[in-house]
Amino acid sequence: MSIRAEIKYKIMKDYGAPALMALQDFKRRKPRPIPEAFGPPLDSNKRLKEILSRHYFLSRYARGVNKVAWVTSGAPVELLRAFDFYTIYPENHSALVGAKKQGADYCSIAEGSGFSQDLCSYARIDLGHMLSGKTPAGKLPKPDLLFCSNNICQTVLYWYKAIAHELNIPLIHFDAPFVTTEQTEADINYMAQQLQDMIPILERVSGRVFYLDVFENILKRSMETSRTWGAILDAMKAQPAPMTIFDAFGHLAPIVSLRGLPVAQDYYHILMEEVDTRVTQGIGAISDERYRLIWDNIAIWYKVRFLATFFAERKMNFVTATYTNAWAETTGYLNVKDPWNSMAKTYGQIILNNNLKHRLELMKKMIKTYSVDGMVMHSTRSCKPYSVGQFDLRKAITTDLDLPAVILDADIADERVWSEQQIHTRLEAFCETLEGSKHG
Amino acid sequence: MMIPNRKEYLKALANSGQKIMGVLPALYPRELLWAFDIHAAEIWDPPGEILHANAHLQTTICPIVKRSLEFILKEPDIINAGYLFPHTCDSLQNLGTQVKDLIGVSLPVYTFYNPKGSFNNTTTRYYRDILQNFQLSMEAVYGPLAPDKFLAACVLSHKIDSHLMAIQQARMTDHLSLNNAEYFKLMRAQEYLLPTDYLSLLEQVDILDQPGESPRARMMVSGILPPTPEILEFLDELGVSIVADDLLAGSRRIPKFPMDAPVSPLDYLTDRFFILPPCSTRGGDLDERLHHLSKHMNASQAQGILFDIVKFCEPELFDHRLLVKTLRGKNYPVLTLETELENHISGQDKTRIEAFTELLFEMVSP
Ligand code: SF4
Ligand code: SF4
Repeated sequence: MSIRAEIKYKIMKDYGAPALMALQDFKRRKPRPIPEAFGPPLDSNKRLKEILSRHYFLSRYARGVNKVAWVTSGAPVELLRAFDFYTIYPENHSALVGAKKQGADYCSIAEGSGFSQDLCSYARIDLGHMLSGKTPAGKLPKPDLLFCSNNICQTVLYWYKAIAHELNIPLIHFDAPFVTTEQTEADINYMAQQLQDMIPILERVSGRVFYLDVFENILKRSMETSRTWGAILDAMKAQPAPMTIFDAFGHLAPIVSLRGLPVAQDYYHILMEEVDTRVTQGIGAISDERYRLIWDNIAIWYKVRFLATFFAERKMNFVTATYTNAWAETTGYLNVKDPWNSMAKTYGQIILNNNLKHRLELMKKMIKTYSVDGMVMHSTRSCKPYSVGQFDLRKAITTDLDLPAVILDADIADERVWSEQQIHTRLEAFCETLEGSKHG
Repeated sequence: MMIPNRKEYLKALANSGQKIMGVLPALYPRELLWAFDIHAAEIWDPPGEILHANAHLQTTICPIVKRSLEFILKEPDIINAGYLFPHTCDSLQNLGTQVKDLIGVSLPVYTFYNPKGSFNNTTTRYYRDILQNFQLSMEAVYGPLAPDKFLAACVLSHKIDSHLMAIQQARMTDHLSLNNAEYFKLMRAQEYLLPTDYLSLLEQVDILDQPGESPRARMMVSGILPPTPEILEFLDELGVSIVADDLLAGSRRIPKFPMDAPVSPLDYLTDRFFILPPCSTRGGDLDERLHHLSKHMNASQAQGILFDIVKFCEPELFDHRLLVKTLRGKNYPVLTLETELENHISGQDKTRIEAFTELLFEMVSP
């Protein structure tokens, strides 16, 4: 750790970041008009933006103070926190690029260098960033370590291997066996042991010592944060729902990328309070909620605003999603008294690492408890583990629950995949069916 | 050397009362199945039009997954003991649960997890546990495993491996009088022949004492499946020999070096898994794979390499860029073809293959 870097980091934390926030505030003084179809926006949005901007801003100065790790969204980051790694989430960054409709640009850079257009666009965007240094976040620090888990997909392992090779840095992989029926004792032991095997490597890379009590505190914080996030999602059972799932896609960022840190824990308390107040006062996210929908799969980042408006104008609100639920679903397994095994259970059983029977039952439960009237599935070109099986999931759900459903073929972050006409036709037909089914 | 036709052979076996399990790509403990008298018939690229699978899978899913599902949906009589889905990639992982939990087939569906990433003692212990758990799931259906049968199955497997290693070596050094089409037909016969039949076939392979005639050019091939028979025949016509391979359906399933004869089956199978060549689907180290490829290019004196990539195959597509970059850096000509397992060669591919082989010929001629 260099003293110069530490002083610089401190100055940026105490003065640079607040100055940046003030500047952003100034720029936002004339907020964009909110379409009539929406209710009042969440006050927490401002705090969310601050937290994320600050995190990306400070990351530029983190090197030399903390070691930097690039981490996948499903990896057990709590362990890294015990060594004070500054963590960057490439998936999150790729989503940001996608939301800014710049996905195709970054993908093209990766494709130009030899990566196939058929690969996940999060990966292509990140590889495009790595090869060019481009980022809408100003500048991102190069990693000292890569940390991935195939509990979301095997893609991340291939993707991180490519970065590790290009940058010649270590990669730690947490192998999470896919749950075909239920986790076996062998699976749990294997994962628990892998976590413990990582400690000496992390000590070496970070130059810091592992303390179990520090780790347990982080775990406790992470548990509490995920629980609060789960409670926020639960609040959307209220009618009208206080948020739309499109809001939740944004508010998901801290639980994904700042999990285990006090800032995420504090943030969700703020959001929880606001959401609770809205529920008590009957304030809805859209002005007239008549239909309640479930979203399946990752967001279409470059079309979030379009989709939010399209549905709100038709008095339709997305009140739940398999995607946002993923960071709350398995938290119940965490147990500070049994950290390794409980982490194996928590991280090993997340939705994308679990069989489709589990997914079907989970979706049916969500549909019932959130009083859902219709389902929109995003079949994303990028993501095989999320998309393979969706056709049969739709069939099972529409048959068993008599629920209207539509599948949108698109991509998470590569806007070139969007077909305006096809999507419009499908959406219009879906809305007609939905309206007919509720009134018919 | 007569190699029986896959469909007819399996049909006759099924009619004779043989238990046959349909196994999807790629790595699984075949010896355990054999020990339970179950024949493993591998399903990689069943022929025929894809009709019903399209209702279950997106257009961006690889043709191996699609063809496999099409085959399974037909509920063919030749498969009577169930289906086994080894954990190979995201698409096959989901297909396994889709077939089992959503589509539903009348036969049981089994799965087998293959650990991913870099391996150490923790992985080794776990792999052994997976084998034991798989044994238990088979025992639940077929009764207790006979230890002598298990050992005999491993001995058979060991013999097959030894022959395959010798044949591969002979291929590299021109000690084999098989053309490309014949060679890969022989390699792929293990996907459906009974191990005893396959061993007899391998025993008939004539390994020459002296090197035969050198081909006009030599190449290595990398990917999942060997090039289609049409491409192989075309290469034969051109006088280009595939002298080494890095194929998932080929040498990536044969140990890197000879093993001692099995004594304890579980130990043997565990050791065997960890000395298989590096493979994209196991998430292995890229340097190791590069090293492995270079070593085989050198040993076989291949002048160039053909990457035959299955469309939408993420595991291969990710590694591909670096492999190409590095091999080109070593001045090896590289050709990449994308295959949807069509049973013809497009005019464009033909032209590219011709141009590529011209390049190889130029390298050979002084
Ligand atoms: S979008 Fe899917 S394939 Fe891509 S990183 Fe996420 S989980 Fe993996
Ligand atoms: S070709 Fe690739 S994507 Fe398809 S089944 Fe094989 S490994 Fe999976």
